[in-house]
Amino acid sequence: MPNTRSMKLFALIIPFFITSCALAPSTRTVTTSPPELTNIRLPMGYIPSVQYAPFYVAMEKGYFKEAGLDVEFDYSFETDGVSLVAANELQFAVVSGEQVPLARAQGLPVVYVLSWWKDYPVAVTAFENENIRQPADLAGKKIGIPGLFGASYVGLIALLNAGGLQEKDIILDSIGFNQVEALVAGQEQAIVVYANNEPIQLEAKGYAIDTLRVADYVQLASNGLITNEATIANNPDLVRRMVQATLKGISDTLNNPDEAFEICKKYVEGLSSADQVVQRQILDTSIEFWKTDQLGYSDPAAWENMQQVLLDMGLLAQPIELNKAFTNDFVTPK
Amino acid sequence: MDLTSTPKTPTTKRWRVINRTVWLISLSVVFVIFIWEVAIRLGNFPSFILPSPQQVWSRLLQVLADGSLLRHITYTLGEVVAGLAIGIITATVLGYLLAKSPAVERLLSPYIVASQSVPIVAIAPLLVIWFGSGLLSKVLISALIVFFPVLVNTMVGLRSVPEDLHDLMRSLLATRWQTLTMLEMPSALPVFLGGLRIGATLAVIGAVVGEFVGADRGLGFLINRARGQYDTALVFVAVITLVLLALSLYGSVLMLEKRLLAWQRPIESSHR
Repeated sequence: MPNTRSMKLFALIIPFFITSCALAPSTRTVTTSPPELTNIRLPMGYIPSVQYAPFYVAMEKGYFKEAGLDVEFDYSFETDGVSLVAANELQFAVVSGEQVPLARAQGLPVVYVLSWWKDYPVAVTAFENENIRQPADLAGKKIGIPGLFGASYVGLIALLNAGGLQEKDIILDSIGFNQVEALVAGQEQAIVVYANNEPIQLEAKGYAIDTLRVADYVQLASNGLITNEATIANNPDLVRRMVQATLKGISDTLNNPDEAFEICKKYVEGLSSADQVVQRQILDTSIEFWKTDQLGYSDPAAWENMQQVLLDMGLLAQPIELNKAFTNDFVTPK
Repeated sequence: MDLTSTPKTPTTKRWRVINRTVWLISLSVVFVIFIWEVAIRLGNFPSFILPSPQQVWSRLLQVLADGSLLRHITYTLGEVVAGLAIGIITATVLGYLLAKSPAVERLLSPYIVASQSVPIVAIAPLLVIWFGSGLLSKVLISALIVFFPVLVNTMVGLRSVPEDLHDLMRSLLATRWQTLTMLEMPSALPVFLGGLRIGATLAVIGAVVGEFVGADRGLGFLINRARGQYDTALVFVAVITLVLLALSLYGSVLMLEKRLLAWQRPIESSHR
C-alpha cells in the first residue's frame, strides 16, 4: 500500500538537487497538452500494484480523459509527492492520511479532497503460537516495523493505545521493509504490515497467523487524494473533475472486481505471471477497506482521531486547524 | 633589506599556510551561504523545499541543545569507525595475498570485481535480514563499501615496489618480514593511504545506507525521520553533519598521511 517507502539513498542527494534547481530556470512539470487535456502527473507513493486498481480502471475506461485529464502515474516516494503538491509543482498526489496533518504542521498547504480507503490499512501480524489476539497481548513482544515514521508507525501506536499500552511497553525493532522475512526467520515476534498485503502472502505460504487490524479498534483518516490550497482557490473545477473521475474508478472497481483485476494486468508489470490467487486476494481484501456508504467522504471523527494519535506520539507539537486539512466539497457532483 | 626582521622559520611558514587555508575555507563557506540565500530570495522557495541558512542554523541549535544530534552522530560514527577497521584489515590482508600470489589473484579477482558491480543499496536489506537490524549489519555494510578501494590500492602499492629494491633486500639476506616492514610497507604506503582516503568517505555512505534500510538511531535515521515529518531544515542539518563527518575522516587520513610520509618530503632549509 502507499507508504513512506523511504529507506532509500536518494534522501541524501535531494537537498543538493533542490539547491541546484534553485539556480536553474524554473520549470513547470504540469503543462497543458493540446488541445484541452490537462496533464496530471500523479504520485502514487508506492510501486505499481493491484491496490491501485481504481486509478487503472479510471484510466482504462476513459474517466480521466472524459474529465479533461491526461493522467500519468508516478511511482515516486510519498513524501516527495506531498512536497511537490505543496509547492504547487503538481496538483494531486495519493497519500496516507497521517501525511496531511504532518505536512500542514510544517506549513505545507496541502488539502485532502477525496477519501479512498475508509479503513486504515495498517495491521500487526504474528504467528498463532504467539497468542496475540488483542492489542494488549502485544505487551513485551518484539515487533518489527519498517521505520519509526509513516503509516506503519502511526498505526502501531494507535493500536497500542487501543490496548492501553505505550511504545515503551514493547520492543520496537526498525527493520526496513523486510517484515515477512524477519518474522519467518524468527527475528521478530510480530510485524507491522498492511492488512491487505503481507498477511495474505504469509497465509498463501502456509503459515498460520493472527492479524490485528488497526481499523478494528480506531477509525483513522486513511489513504486518499490531496491537492493544494492554490489549486482549490484558482482551479476548483480541476479538483472536482479529478475527484469525480477517481470516484468513478473506485465505484467500478467495487462493482466489478473481475474487470478491475484484468485491467490491472495492463498496468502492473509481471501481474499476469504472478500468483493470480494471491494477487486477486490482495485486491479483494483491499476492496473491503474501500467499501463505504459515501464514497470519497472524509469522516471528521477519523481526522480528530488521527490528530490525537499524532499529538500523543509527539509528531505534532500542537493541534492544527483540521477544517483546513480536508474537505468534502468536491466529493458530491456539482 | 630589513636586517632587523627575524628569519622565516618553517614553523612561521606553516602557520601562514594554515592561516591562508582557514581564510579560504571561511570565504568559501560564506560564498555558499550567500548563494543559498540568493537562491531562496530569487526563487521564492518555501522552507519545506529549501530552508534558509538561518532556519537550518536554528534547527541545528535545537538538536544540539536537546542532545539528539550528538546521540545520532555518536552512533553513526561508531558504525563508520568499526566498518572502516574491519574493511581496512580484511582488504589489506587479502590485498597482500593477491599481490603476492598470481594464482590467488586469478582465483579470487573475478569474484571480487563482480561483487563491486552489485549496488550496496541492493544487498543492504539482505544484510539486515541476515545479521539483524542492530549495529552489526550497518558495520558490515560500511566495511563492504570500504573494502574494494583499500584492496585495490594495497595491491597496486605493493606491486609498485621496484624490482631492484627487492634484489637489494635479497642480496642483504633480508627475511620476508624484514622485506615487508622495511621495503614493501613504506613503498606501498602512499598508494595505500590514497585508498584509505576514499574508503574513509565511503564508510560514511555505507553506514547511512544501512541506517536507511532499518534503524532507530544514527544520522541516516534522522534524515528519514525528518523527511517523514517534512522537517527539511532538519534534513539539511543531518546532511551537513554527514558531510562534516566525512570531511573530518578525510582530514584525519590526510594528517596521518603527512605524519607517516614525512620522510618523503624534501629536507627544508631554515635559511634560504
